[in-house]
Amino acid sequence: MKHDNHSHANVLIPEVGLRVKALESLLAEKKAIDPAALDLIIETFETQMGPKNGAKVVAKAWTDPKYRKWLLEDGTAAIKSLGYIGIQGENMVALENTPSVHNVVVCTLCSCYPWPTLGLPPVWFKSAPYRARVVIEPRSVLKEFGLDVADDVEVRVWDSTAELRYLVIPVRPAGTENLNEQELAALVTRDSMIRTGVAQSPSH
Amino acid sequence: MNMLTTAMVPTVLATGDPARVDVEIAPKFKAGDKVTVVNLNKVDHNRLPAYIKGKVGTVTFDHGVFVFPDTSAHRKGPKPQHVYTVVFNARDLWGEAGHPRDRMYVDAWDDYLEHAR
Repeated sequence: MKHDNHSHANVLIPEVGLRVKALESLLAEKKAIDPAALDLIIETFETQMGPKNGAKVVAKAWTDPKYRKWLLEDGTAAIKSLGYIGIQGENMVALENTPSVHNVVVCTLCSCYPWPTLGLPPVWFKSAPYRARVVIEPRSVLKEFGLDVADDVEVRVWDSTAELRYLVIPVRPAGTENLNEQELAALVTRDSMIRTGVAQSPSH
Repeated sequence: MNMLTTAMVPTVLATGDPARVDVEIAPKFKAGDKVTVVNLNKVDHNRLPAYIKGKVGTVTFDHGVFVFPDTSAHRKGPKPQHVYTVVFNARDLWGEAGHPRDRMYVDAWDDYLEHAR
């Protein structure tokens, strides 16, 4: 990728994009950063990190009971065995959704997110309204995401304030008994692993 | 200044910045302990969310020893200590606005917690 072609897709305010570009040029001129290293970081995020990795972890947990047990006991080691460990995923905790427990993840202090398994966080995950509201009224927020949580289901909100990063294992959809690991992974959405969505059913 | 070079990128991304430290430090708490969150108010960097200050919760898990950001962010040393997950009842945090079934899980360093009386 040519350096001039960075697309700062997450930038909502054009002035912020310009400011980032100005800082980037200045730092490169002062030899504080190597533009080629930046390109490599961006390329790695674009091609190797992202929710497809997390989906493979989930699909393995759905199909391999021994792996599931290991994942819930020692998320870091179990995820490392698949190669998805690294920056902002140094210490991983897997949370299992069940018919009676719904897990939701937030970072109220900033935007902590498990990069190796989920990639970079979506803009809404970093937004002040999500971070402020999901702790006090998770059910209303989930409803706005299209998810109705029944009254007899316990909602657990996890605020990643320290160095632990959380990955939610969604409930395996009904009607997927005959699917293999690869087919199952295709059903796992990014939002289902932050638990603001559900894994798709095969008919989707 | 040490510049991050292309050659360093794969290692940096693969190892990250492990804040976990391999030192033996006795934990102040164990799973099941009732804890009160200290009412810390300072302008320096810290990782204690306001909504749990002064609240009582229960330790659910001891994650081991980590660098303490309150000191390390200000280059005052790592001050390594245990990090726990602490669970709070939504009602204890939010009163009537909280759903009686719901729980809030927050990770906290030793220095943020005291034994609840």
